[in-house]
Amino acid sequence: MNIDDLTRTSGEWLRGTGPESDIVMCSRIRLARNLADFPFTNRAGRREKNEIEAAVAASIEQGKIELFVQDVNNLSNLDRQFLFERQLISRELRDAEGPRGVAFSPTEDVSVMINEEDHLRIQVMHSGLSLGSVWDRINYIDDRLEERLDYAFSPRLGYLTACPTNVGTGIRVGVLVHLPALVQTKQIEKVFRALQKINLAVRGLYGEGTQASGDFYQISNQQTLGKSEQDLIRNLSEVVPQIIQYERGARQALVGEQRRQYLHDQVSRAYGVLKTAHTISSEETMLLLSSVRMGINLGLIDDLEIPIVNELFIHTQPAHLQKIQGRILETDERNVARASYLRNRLSNGRHDPKNDG
Amino acid sequence: MTCQNCKREATVHVTEEINGKRREMHLCARCAREAGYDSVDDPPMFGLEGILQSFILAHVGEMVGELSRRFCPLCGLKFMDFRGQGRLGCPNDYAMFDHGLAPIVRRVQGASRHVGKIPARRGAAAAGLNRLKLRAQLRDAIEREDFEEAARLRDRLRPAEDDR
Ligand SMILES: [Zn+2]
Ligand SMILES: [Zn+2]
Repeated sequence: MNIDDLTRTSGEWLRGTGPESDIVMCSRIRLARNLADFPFTNRAGRREKNEIEAAVAASIEQGKIELFVQDVNNLSNLDRQFLFERQLISRELRDAEGPRGVAFSPTEDVSVMINEEDHLRIQVMHSGLSLGSVWDRINYIDDRLEERLDYAFSPRLGYLTACPTNVGTGIRVGVLVHLPALVQTKQIEKVFRALQKINLAVRGLYGEGTQASGDFYQISNQQTLGKSEQDLIRNLSEVVPQIIQYERGARQALVGEQRRQYLHDQVSRAYGVLKTAHTISSEETMLLLSSVRMGINLGLIDDLEIPIVNELFIHTQPAHLQKIQGRILETDERNVARASYLRNRLSNGRHDPKNDG
Repeated sequence: MTCQNCKREATVHVTEEINGKRREMHLCARCAREAGYDSVDDPPMFGLEGILQSFILAHVGEMVGELSRRFCPLCGLKFMDFRGQGRLGCPNDYAMFDHGLAPIVRRVQGASRHVGKIPARRGAAAAGLNRLKLRAQLRDAIEREDFEEAARLRDRLRPAEDDR
């Protein structure tokens, strides 16, 4: 398995299955872990970072954990950006310097970043609202890694991390939710404020601030000390259904008596532009795909499936287009390639990206 | 959209009013930074990270006496470095700077004791701390160009790693 193979597949978390998957794109948990016998990444020398990377790789190999280990330091900028768009590595790991890597599973549900802010950042993502299965999986991977790695741990403070905001469980429990109707009805700010009041963080699809792309938002816990993993998972699991309910309510208002035609028009136009455009920017694509995704969920579009739309959000990102085309493209060329790719994927019966000239 | 300065994709969009005239700017991250729109592209500081930063700036700066002179012999971090970066240097720092960190942790996390998962292998962290000390000595030896000592320390670090 290598990075080029990934252009022909997509992560299982994009399948659009699992509970509430019309609104909850995926559930995600990450654990921050450090080796007890090395300085944290920001104070580790080049040689030490190499040793950390080797120790983690060895524990994966000897433990027969089914993960593919990829060095990140020697990758091209394009490949690093590709892994970032793919959600397999963070912005921080993409932009860092020195020895670092990532290990991921063939279905891309697991990724273990090496020499991020912490020595290990273990991440598991599953489609839909499925925090229970995500926890089972990540807890298992963590146990297996710990068989051969000495984690930095204190009975009083828990897992020790480079930043005190992660100390304790080192856990971040999150969901990626699609909230186009709350955005459109201008209720999203209100929801954000309510979430921040109960200490939950809101970020965009790629960790950006409030102006999120494609109406996707990550909602996650911030506290990591003094509450067990199960408690933190339960906290979020109780809040998410309320957000789902707000979004459903806003969608119903949009398809309600007077406004149905307006929404249907907006969705159809979005779909039409995506199917016919000859040049299109990344921002416009995200905006229109978001409309189309909501349109499918409301039964306004019936010849397109959610997993394809989910995949298009990722596959139309700049590095993905260039990997699929097999060459570096300037912005203008990318916009043409993106439009051509979209036309191809959205025309009936031709879903193989390789058919595209 | 393309950056108005160069050909990269514009990711920063700013609207400014200068002398009553509205001006729109579309810049890539690099040009935006050069033009001084530094924070626009970065995710805003919010949540715990923001609380941590403001708390560190407000309180650690005033810390005087013993704590401000303290440094960790295993990674070289001074408590004042933590003020600047908000990052610790090694697992030992939590014990080393406990006096200064504990109030920060309590403030940021709203708690001071871990509840939840613990590693299955007891004593792994203690064994790790011993090797962290050896690694600090190794770094010193290399800096002093005491290669005999460095070789001796590498030998002591090696079997411990292979025995696991
Ligand atoms: Zn530029
Ligand atoms: Zn230290």
